[in-house]
Amino acid sequence: MNTNWFRGLLALALIGLAFGVYGMYERLFFGLNPVAFGSYVPWGLWVAFYLFFLGLSAGAFLVTILTYVLNLKHFEGIAPLSAFVVLIALICEVQFILLDLGTMHRAFYQFFLTPSFSSLMTWMFVLFNAMLLIYAVKTFLLIRGGLIRRAGENKGPAAKIYALLSLGRRTYTEEMSRRDDRWVHILAWISLPVGLLFYGANGAFFAILMNRPIWNSAMTPLLFVVAALLSGGALVAFLTHVFRQKDPFNPEGVCREDRLCMDLGKVVLFLLAVFLVLEAMQFFVGYQTAKTDIVTSLDLMVKGQGARVFWVVHLLIGSLVPLALLIFGAHSPRAVSWACFLIFITFIAVRYNFVVSDLAVYKLEGLETAFVHSRLTTDYAPNLNEWMVSAWIISTGLIAFVLGIRYLPVLAGWNGGNAHEVR
Amino acid sequence: MARILPQEDFLVRMQRDLKRALAGDADAVKWAMVIDLAKCIGCHACTLACVAENKLPPGVVYRPVMEEEIGRYPEVRRRFVPRPCLQCQNPPCVKVCPVTATFKNKQGITVVDYKRCIGCRYCLVACPYSARTSDFGEWYTKPTPDADGIIFGRKAAAKAYEAMPAAEYKKKWPQRGKGSPIGNARKCHFCLHRLAVGMLPACVTSCVGRSTFFGNRNDPESLVFELLASPRVYRLKEELGTRPSVYYLA
Repeated sequence: MNTNWFRGLLALALIGLAFGVYGMYERLFFGLNPVAFGSYVPWGLWVAFYLFFLGLSAGAFLVTILTYVLNLKHFEGIAPLSAFVVLIALICEVQFILLDLGTMHRAFYQFFLTPSFSSLMTWMFVLFNAMLLIYAVKTFLLIRGGLIRRAGENKGPAAKIYALLSLGRRTYTEEMSRRDDRWVHILAWISLPVGLLFYGANGAFFAILMNRPIWNSAMTPLLFVVAALLSGGALVAFLTHVFRQKDPFNPEGVCREDRLCMDLGKVVLFLLAVFLVLEAMQFFVGYQTAKTDIVTSLDLMVKGQGARVFWVVHLLIGSLVPLALLIFGAHSPRAVSWACFLIFITFIAVRYNFVVSDLAVYKLEGLETAFVHSRLTTDYAPNLNEWMVSAWIISTGLIAFVLGIRYLPVLAGWNGGNAHEVR
Repeated sequence: MARILPQEDFLVRMQRDLKRALAGDADAVKWAMVIDLAKCIGCHACTLACVAENKLPPGVVYRPVMEEEIGRYPEVRRRFVPRPCLQCQNPPCVKVCPVTATFKNKQGITVVDYKRCIGCRYCLVACPYSARTSDFGEWYTKPTPDADGIIFGRKAAAKAYEAMPAAEYKKKWPQRGKGSPIGNARKCHFCLHRLAVGMLPACVTSCVGRSTFFGNRNDPESLVFELLASPRVYRLKEELGTRPSVYYLA
């Protein structure tokens, strides 16, 4: 990452932190009192962001499938970057969900003291930690060689930090590289069922709720897996293009990362098509059943409070424009990366509509006027506090990402060869 | 000329039923509530009694009364449907709780352990009846101005009533504002703390039209047992299979 981009993104993140600091103060000192959601719409923007980052974390999962299941070994080169992105996404994800809890401190011990394995949330907790562990170890193994090399190259505090991150190792032999590579393969294979369960369980988390007409479908877990692969894959494709390194012998030509980006673009195009078909089926089946609660939820999405987000942000900017770019600009890495950028950045709209539209329907007639209070209504729009806290969390993720890209050897596998740097 | 026949007040009979239930085998008791919609006048006294009894803050309600308008003008009538927690025998809220903070007690009442609840609100989303609300730490006295020695302001007003700890679940909760149940899911528990000392739930005793009945549905002598034999009995959203312990008489 060049210095201008580094400084620019860091400044953006610092502005985000400054914007969010008061929101965090309110959240930490006054609990959930400053938020806009209530008891009839109990989940709002933060849960939507949680799902958004959950999807983004699936980028490495997609790369793993491509590399090990479909045996497309050239994708192995972007493994460190994608694994690192998973870590950042998981860190943002956990912050969102922790801050969404009414009594946050209890989450740190109550899951261990009195877990209930009949709850899918417990399984999400287990699978989340499994994913975090797998990708933390995987990222470490993938960049260990680079860390050791940098510890030797640098002096002063930087050398100490690199030595600390590489757990004190001073040399990185061929034998260690082979061993790390073997473990990375093992972890990649383990991450396949764990990832599938993780993304599927997140879908099932919503699907099992029988009183939630849009969510309560066997298709929801499948939709979640596809959505996660789509948004995560789009993010990795975009980053692959952003951090490409031009071929010094042919700077105007298509470099290796550009080819990877275009290949990922084809996968993203396929996933986008599948996702849109599944979504269309959801609408078709919903409207055909003509059950009042289903139709009301769908109407809220396409005609009600979520209409602009659905038609403009999700369908037009996040689906149709990328679809055109991916079809007609398939041979242009720039067009593909723009398409992928639009897909992943607008995916928050998909998540928001998914969460809020189903919640925003009264479950019993007359409930809206039975006891009037701002917490007892289905009219929900995120307030400034929720946006400020969101800005804070995203900024922490951006800072970690920018610093990681700049100072950690996550782009070590670029320009061919093994991801492990051997000294 | 019509004569009013002497009749025992339902409350007296239910009180007797309650005493009998408390004197017997506790594990054999299954509490149930029957609400006669034909007698409910929509006065909301039960809602307010519940709020006062459990010191519920703004935005938290255990027993709202829903109003339905049936028919078209001029043939219009209104129906009032009180909705406490339905104490489902197959409760969707219990199985989704990740930390077993909510569970059914031996008498069939779904309770919340405020000291365990992490406030994820999954149970709120899972309840088909929206019978759970979250405590967001609101205060009725928040907009009340304070001016020491001049007006009886917020602090004094809150101290007199709102900040006082509720007696829910037979426990002495700390003064409001100091931790749980703020941040927790909250719900109707059939006034367990009152039952423990031989008192009927607040909504039952406050019912002006005597439309709410309470007792042990396993006791053949109880009033609720008798009422459950009525052909007018139905339960809300029966098709979901949640098997509520709150029955309605249509």
